[in-house]
Amino acid sequence: MRGRAARVLALVVLAVLILFPVYFTIAGSLMKPGDIASAPPSLFPHGITFHNYRGVFRAVPLGRQYFNSTLVSVVITLAQLVCAVLSAYAFVFLALPLKRTLFAVFLLTLMVPWESIIIPNYLFMADHRLRNTYLALVLPFLAGGFGTFLLRQSFRTFPVELRDAAVLDGASHGRFLFTILLPLSRPALASVGIFVFLSAWNQFLWPLLITDSPRMQTLQIGLASLNDAEAADPGLILAGVTLALVPTAALVAFGQRFLVRGLTAGAVR
Amino acid sequence: MRQAATAGRRGLGRERLLGLALVAPSLAVFGFFIFWPLVRTFQLSTTGQDLFGRADRQVGLANFTAVLHDSQFGQVLAVTAGYVVLTVIPSILFALVLGLLLQNPLRGMRFLRSAFAMPFAYSVAAASVVFAALFNPAIGIANYLVTRLGFAPVQWLTQPGTALISVAITTVWMNVGYNMLVILAGVGGVDEQLYEAARLDGAGTFRIARSITVPLITPSLFFLVVVDTIASLQSFGQIRVLTRGGPTGHTTTLVYWIYHTAFENGASDYGEGSAQAVVLLLVVILITAIQFGVLERRVIYR
Amino acid sequence: MRPSYLRLLTAGVAAGALAITAGCSGSSGGGSGSSNASAPASDVLNKAGDVTVTFWHEMKGNNGDALNALVAKFNAAHAGKITVKPVFEGNYDDAVTKYKAAVQAKQTPSLIQVYDVGSGFLSDSGQTIPVQSFADEDHFSLDDLQPAIKGYYSKNGKLQSMPFNSSVPLLYINATAFKKAGLDPTKPPTTLDEIRSDAQKLKSSGAVKYPFNAAIYGWYFEQLTAEAGKPYCNNDNGRTARATDVTFDDPEQIQFLSWWKGMLADGLASNTGRNTDDAQAAFKSGTIGMGFESTGVLGGYLAAAGSKFQVATAPFPKVQSSDAGGPIIGGASLWIDGPGHSAAEQRAAWEFVKFLVQPENAAYWHTKTGYFPVTKAALDQPVDKAWVAQKPQFQTAIDELKSSPSTTATQGCLLGSLPQVRALVETAIESVLTSGKDPKAALDQAASQAKDLITKYNAAVGK
Repeated sequence: MRGRAARVLALVVLAVLILFPVYFTIAGSLMKPGDIASAPPSLFPHGITFHNYRGVFRAVPLGRQYFNSTLVSVVITLAQLVCAVLSAYAFVFLALPLKRTLFAVFLLTLMVPWESIIIPNYLFMADHRLRNTYLALVLPFLAGGFGTFLLRQSFRTFPVELRDAAVLDGASHGRFLFTILLPLSRPALASVGIFVFLSAWNQFLWPLLITDSPRMQTLQIGLASLNDAEAADPGLILAGVTLALVPTAALVAFGQRFLVRGLTAGAVR
Repeated sequence: MRQAATAGRRGLGRERLLGLALVAPSLAVFGFFIFWPLVRTFQLSTTGQDLFGRADRQVGLANFTAVLHDSQFGQVLAVTAGYVVLTVIPSILFALVLGLLLQNPLRGMRFLRSAFAMPFAYSVAAASVVFAALFNPAIGIANYLVTRLGFAPVQWLTQPGTALISVAITTVWMNVGYNMLVILAGVGGVDEQLYEAARLDGAGTFRIARSITVPLITPSLFFLVVVDTIASLQSFGQIRVLTRGGPTGHTTTLVYWIYHTAFENGASDYGEGSAQAVVLLLVVILITAIQFGVLERRVIYR
Repeated sequence: MRPSYLRLLTAGVAAGALAITAGCSGSSGGGSGSSNASAPASDVLNKAGDVTVTFWHEMKGNNGDALNALVAKFNAAHAGKITVKPVFEGNYDDAVTKYKAAVQAKQTPSLIQVYDVGSGFLSDSGQTIPVQSFADEDHFSLDDLQPAIKGYYSKNGKLQSMPFNSSVPLLYINATAFKKAGLDPTKPPTTLDEIRSDAQKLKSSGAVKYPFNAAIYGWYFEQLTAEAGKPYCNNDNGRTARATDVTFDDPEQIQFLSWWKGMLADGLASNTGRNTDDAQAAFKSGTIGMGFESTGVLGGYLAAAGSKFQVATAPFPKVQSSDAGGPIIGGASLWIDGPGHSAAEQRAAWEFVKFLVQPENAAYWHTKTGYFPVTKAALDQPVDKAWVAQKPQFQTAIDELKSSPSTTATQGCLLGSLPQVRALVETAIESVLTSGKDPKAALDQAASQAKDLITKYNAAVGK
């Protein structure tokens, strides 16, 4: 059928366009400097070399920066999840005073762009000698309005019957939360967790401003400074990018169903 | 209505305390790192700095007049608006096309979905660095391909007009994966029977897409508009890696302008930077108001 | 009678005591942030144990390796007494930002390498102890420093920081391409017009893809101004009094921009943007016939060119051959921090600084990097002489500096906000090259914006 052929063609063209940079990342990392830094550049590697992968660790402490990014992102994600669960619980299941006002405060935090308050936060860290510390990378992000917002919506749809049954059984708030509510809220928790983790993983301006020691920088800054430092050696830079991609690429390739459900929980409602 | 059935006032009082205790951690973080800095931004915007950036004098509204009268101010606003438009609309359009193309099960669709979602695995820095190499004026492959196709080489990052487009291309490429996944999820929620009925009525592919699929996924589309716009307004990494705000400031958005005034080239003009930050805040509030006031009305909820 | 006699006697004794102490040693320990901080006595080190010197630098790649080698040599020679810890701080701009934050957090390094255009800011900062003070304290002679280099880093005749990696701009030539076009690389173009005519020959012969390329780097504009013998800012380039404005209205400056625009428009040049790394990559790939760059990249160029093509160097051009100017020293210098550092630390930093300007070490630095040797004695080292004889490309910089007149124009502009002014000039050049703006209008706009910046800076300093 012509419609089918047209569809396939369109998909192939789009695939080439979208996947070319991915091909370039991997192929380029395996090219020798003569291949990639030449004019005209070659599209295909003439002989594969792993020398770029050895060199990239000499150029920047990439392993350490990987660790930094992971540690910071995990800490932020866990902290935000805890704060969001506690706050959402309070908003939905407890007689919280000034509930409307407090919720408005939470919503307000979503309206304020981080970049418009970055200067005072930077000065605070600089004045208190917190530059180049994990604390500074993590502290401002230990709580976030998005998680609370999403979890509140999720908790609100929790079946009343289950809640009433738990109360009749004499369950305390803690027991209800941990043994009933949370296990059944896994999709929402996953969605918050993924969203927060990715935001933390992707941060650029804040780590750029408050770290300058290569060993305390995050992966993103490391990649950018690799780009600056080794501009004459694109193969090296691409090796760094390839290495940085491995976990997230694995997530996309194998965890798609999980990703889709998690990421869109907030959208489709 | 949802409150636990507690007995007596003492129980209620304790519950109230518990509630406050549960929101306290979040509020503490917000207070310290969002609201207090917000106040500080306004305060700083009326100060002048010494050599090291320490505020040491009051200058009233001088920073604001400097910002508003800055010859670059109009350009910064235009670049920001242009950048948002150049990224949000193509990101959603491409993803929509992909989503519609991939909705009916084709052989190997799973594989294609993963393939198209690959850009999602790239962080901002990773994508920017790769595109910087592609767009490199001397040894970049983009120009090599362009010349092989018979066109003149493009000044991707060094020509004022094209530079913003190049940065936008990088951002759109990054967004497409995620946007496509969201749209596919939305499309998956559309009732098959509606398609059946439409086909029975003789509707073609395009008609079905336009009149059934798209309207029914407006919640997802609205979500993407909001999320992509926010991401666009906050874009920094791409600009810093690809163009550093140039050439001649043609890729300097509001956020980059703040960075440039307050931090770049060894600067420490926190007073004027804070005035610009106030402008950013107002712009974001305005855009959010428009999005929720105007666009959300058109969303079709089921 | 007696009280006033007593008073006179006390005053006399006090004055005498002051005179004696002032003549011998300066104040001990770190100063309190005043710009008159002076060097501590030399015996302070003997009492201290192992002193650590944190050294912030911005040397990467090939140059970074050479620096680390020098640090290792120093640490070995002073084992147990002084340990220098080098910390790579990224690029020159970032280092200044970090330094400002460090001042606020009271966590400054003992020694910091700051680029040439940061000299104004550092000398206004009150955070450093002038090198002159240490030299006077130790009766260490600074006469062997190249006069042009010494002049750049001096204020009121006193050397503020120790020059370390000094560079002059050069015109790099792809000698292989030159020969292919029938040009003689040993007779390079010396003026802008000559560059243009050589470029045309390069283009018509098809020897290279682009006859000329230069990064949009404000440094080249500063150089050309000095080559024309003109000042960059007022008050004698800020050397006799604090500069309050820039001087961007000279015909040579406008001509430079018009010339560059014409080269680009006629396909004789390519535009690789502001990033010097991109321009270097272009030259290294062999597609450029002639390019501007610093002596500091010569080592890297030779390594990259390898056997692909030959590299030749020529002095930076003038606008007209009759111009009575010369190049300005570029690069960076080392500043010793005062407040917050113990006297032992300050002295240790000075010991390292002295080590670096020893002839053999300066010669090592020169031959490894291509940066200009800061002392005359370094040039006489056998290692250096042999190196230069082997690689005649290194001789160009030496000759260029020797023949440069010592005037305020070649001293360069001393301006606290020079880094940002330089960025304004780059924007002006960009607008001429890519948006077709009129050179004079572009420079006028840059000048007026620069003036605002300078006024703001002076307000922040002068109290």
